[in-house]
Formats: sequence, C-alpha cells, structure tokens
Amino acid sequence: MIDSDIGEQEKSLGDCIIRISEVNKTFPGGIRALDNFSCKVKEREVVVVIGPSGSGKSTLLRCLNGLEKIDSGSVVIDNIPLDLNPNHRLKIRQEVGMVFQSFNLFPHMTVSENINLAQRLVRKKTKKEAMQTTMSLLEKVGMPEKAASYPSHLSGGQQQRVAIARALAMMPKVMLFDEATSALDPEMIGEVLGVMKNLAREGMTMIVVTHEMGFAREVGDRVIFMEEGKIIEGGSAEHFFTNPRFDRTKSFLSKIL
Amino acid sequence: MKQRKTQIKPLDIIVLLLLIGAGVYVFYRIKIGLNYKWHWSAMPQYLFRYDEESGKWVANFLILGLFTTLRLSIWGTILATFFGTVMGLCRVSPSLFLRLVSRGYVEFIRNSPPLVLIFLFYFFIGDQIIPALGVDAFIRARSESTQAILSFLFAPPELFSSFFSALLTVSLFEGAYITEIVRAGIQSIEKGQWEASRALGLSRWQQMRYVILPQAVQRILPPLAGQFISLIKDSSIVSVISIQELTFQATELMAATYYTIEIWTMVAGLYLILTLSCSLLAERLEIRMARSR
Ligand SMILES: Nc1ncnc2c1ncn2[C@@H]1O[C@H](COP(=O)(O)OP(=O)(O)OP(=O)(O)O)[C@@H](O)[C@H]1O
Ligand SMILES: [Mg+2]
Repeated sequence: MIDSDIGEQEKSLGDCIIRISEVNKTFPGGIRALDNFSCKVKEREVVVVIGPSGSGKSTLLRCLNGLEKIDSGSVVIDNIPLDLNPNHRLKIRQEVGMVFQSFNLFPHMTVSENINLAQRLVRKKTKKEAMQTTMSLLEKVGMPEKAASYPSHLSGGQQQRVAIARALAMMPKVMLFDEATSALDPEMIGEVLGVMKNLAREGMTMIVVTHEMGFAREVGDRVIFMEEGKIIEGGSAEHFFTNPRFDRTKSFLSKIL
Repeated sequence: MKQRKTQIKPLDIIVLLLLIGAGVYVFYRIKIGLNYKWHWSAMPQYLFRYDEESGKWVANFLILGLFTTLRLSIWGTILATFFGTVMGLCRVSPSLFLRLVSRGYVEFIRNSPPLVLIFLFYFFIGDQIIPALGVDAFIRARSESTQAILSFLFAPPELFSSFFSALLTVSLFEGAYITEIVRAGIQSIEKGQWEASRALGLSRWQQMRYVILPQAVQRILPPLAGQFISLIKDSSIVSVISIQELTFQATELMAATYYTIEIWTMVAGLYLILTLSCSLLAERLEIRMARSR
C-alpha cells in the first residue's frame, strides 16, 4: 500500500501552475512575515520549504489558499487570481488542498464523514458518489477498515493520513503540507511520509514545509531555504547537502541534519 | 486513581455535636417560646381540593400556580434559547453592526436590575405592543375549543396579554445570559477547526452549521442546563406584575391566611421539585452524550 514501486523514472514538469509575485504580508505588531516574496511552481513539481521558526513558511502556505490575506503583490493559481472576488477564493480553495501540523480532523464525525463533508457541501455530490471516492481514498492511504471510526480512536499517524485523504477528496490540483509530520511520534512519521511520497510520484503538485531532508532528497524537485520572509537560497536537495552557498543556510542545515 | 477514604476526625465530631446542639436549642425555643401556631394540616387543601359539584379532586391555588410557573418555564426556555442562539451567533459575526446590536442587548440586560426590566417590559410590551398587535381580539375571535387549547398551553384569554409580556420579559432576560454561553461555546472551538473547514471550501455558514456548532453544543449543554434552572427560579419575579404563578399565589394565600412559614416552606419544596428534576435530567443527558463519544 504505502511505498508502491512506481519506477524512479524522471518525471516531466509541466507549465507554471502557481505564480507568486512580490507578495508582502505584515502582521499587526509589525512582523514582516513575507517580504517581497516571489516564486513559481510548475505542474507536478514538488517544492520543499525549509527554514527556521518564524521565517514565514506557514504564512506562505496560508496565503496561497486565502486563509491569510496578502497586503500587496499577487497570487495566481491555475490561472485564477486570488483576489477579493469570493468566487475566485472558493475556486482556489477547491483546487488547493491543505494538510496541517495538528491534523484538525472534525472530532464529532467519523473518518468517512470527515472525508465526505466537503464533497457533499462544496462539490454537491450524492452520498453514494461521495462514499465511493472516500473509500478509494482510504484504500490509497491504507486504512479502509477505519471508515466508521472516530478520530479520537486513531493514532496520530492514522489521523494525519485521514486528513490527507480529506484534502484529496476535493480533487485538488495542488497540495500544501505544513509540517505534516512534526506532531507525530517518530514511529509514525514513516507511514505519513510514505503516503506523501506516493502522491508525489503520481504527479501531484506539492509545496511541503518539512525538515525531513530524506523526503526532500527522494521526491523533492526543488528545496527552498527561507528566512525572515525571503528566499535565501534554492536548489536541489543534493545542492543543500553538498555545497550550500550561504553561511546562514549551512548553520541552519547543521541544526536539522 | 486511588480511592479516597472518608475519615472521621475528632474535629468533625465536635462540629457535628455543635450543629446538633444548635438545632435542638432552636427547636426547643420555637416549641416553648415562639408565638406561632403551626397549621400544617391546612396545607394539603391548598394543593388539591375536593370539588363537590363534580365529585373529583382538582388542583388548588399552589398547584395552579405551579402549572403557570411550568408554562412560563417551558415556553421561556424555548424562547430564551432562540434569542440566545440568534444573538450568540450575532456576537461572533463578522458584521460590526450585528456585533454591536447583540453586545448592546447583552450589556443592557445584564446591567439593569431585573425588577426594573420587568416593569419596563411589562408596561411597554403589555400595555403598548400587544394591544397594538390586536392579540386580545384575535384570541377572543377563536372558537371555544381553540381557546381551551390556548388556555391550557398559555393562559386564559383574559390573562393572555399579561402572560405573554411576562413570558417575553423572562425570555429576553435569560436570553442575554444564554447569548454569552453560546458565544463562549463557539469561541472555545479551536481555530484549527475553522481553518480546516475553510481550506476545504466550506462557506462561513456551512462551517458554523456542520463543524463548529455541533461541537459547541456539547460544551454548551452543562452551563445551559444551569441557566434553565435559573430561569425557573427567576420566573418568580414576574409575580410583581400579577402573573398567577407559584410565588404570586403564595403571596395571595399568605395575605388571606397568615400561615407564613408553612406556605413558603411548601413553595420552596415545589420549586425544588422542579429545579432538581431539571438538574437530574441534565446530568442524565450529559452522561449519555459523554458515552456516545
Ligand atoms: N496571526 C498572527 N499574528 C501576528 N503575528 C503572526 C501571526 N501568525 C504568524 N505571525 C508571525 O509571523 C512570523 C512568521 O510566522 P510563520 O508561522 O509563518 O512562521 P513559520 O516559518 O511557519 O514558523 P514555524 O517553523 O515555527 O512554524 C512569525 O514571526 C510569527 O510570530
Ligand atoms: Mg509554521
């Protein structure tokens, strides 16, 4: 189930699907979380974002699906601009799935109800259609037998896999992962990373905030090192392992590796 | 967890003896010194009386009053929950106007003496609004049987408008407290729940309806039950506007008989029956909900 062996053939990246240009975001209190931030992501690309605490990684992801409003600059995803038009916002939220560090499953619903909810309310599917998608997604994350369980009866790793399935149920074109494995016990990190790797190999466009450099090396097409709301350095995982250019990058890597 | 054993210490015994001594002393003083004649045997007839005409036992003053208190409490609970939920949702609304309205409502009610509010509402609602709506005429125009149902559910036609203003007063009053309970319940739900449902594309109303409120209701239930019990107790203040509920009936009866202590003891007992059964019911419900998780 996890780690299926799709061969390691080179995948071809497509057109640019996310365009972030000159985005600024300042929080009340004057903290500059994103500082003239620009970045482009291609279809099927997996971008790994690393950086010290408070460098604006979460803010970046949250600005991409409108959980946080940007002060200036522009975000365009799949040719839809993220602006004040609520229809654009809704469309972008449907195209962008997000997975949080703290899972955020709905505790009063079973696993299958969690995954069905947005399919029914937003995609307007019938219960039967939604359930079909839900079961196939649960197969994919390796826990079809848990469909009727409540989140409180699942381990952290299982909860996070359900959260991934829940996001995938909207058939998003882009998936955002914000430290999806940071809240997990070490023995559960593998199962969640496994699901994420499969997703990457199937060609999902992903932006992944993580310090799991093994993951970056295996499926990351590009690694970005952020500090104080800016990109300090970008390149392949190998580049970061072998010869990072800046001292700040080196000292950060020495802490996480 | 370790089972805590109840241990009786010397101090406990001393306190207990002192209490018993004080009780005996008071009882003794009352027995010999109190200028009060007990009339406990007269009490049951104020609950039920034998109707010579029909040859049946029927409810008398206090039980009739208890029924009115019950009607006020049941309808009051429903209306107050309605006001509280609507205003509670306004309290957390993104709209500044709605927030101001609900905030104003809560602050006005919570910072005014209930008695003053009662008079204010009574004379405003009862004397101005209800006649203006033509409620009285409407009820008098109904058929006999409709009137009978209405008097069973609310009050007899001639008392309808004062019952209605008392009901509105109690509900608006308790609604303000329920508003705050609802607001606190909604705000106690983790931010992550809002974010996860927003990221899935749910509208604000859908987030509220399917994700936030169902969780908030579970947390709100215990304080809400407490508020309902308060409502039963607070309903006694509408006796000042001549609603013939339990406290009003007791006042009348006392004026006629002077059996002060017995009457108020009975009334306290009747209120306790209502409030305690409400507590027990709430406790049951809580256990049921806790088990279903
Ligand atoms: N809602 C907020 N209000 C005020 N300041 C905020 C808010 N959210 C984030 N910040 C600030 O913005 C900066 C960037 O925060 P962000 O959460 O994006 O960092 P991060 O890189 O995700 O850090 P971490 O690794 O700790 O998750 C931090 O200085 C943080 O204190
Ligand atoms: Mg973060």
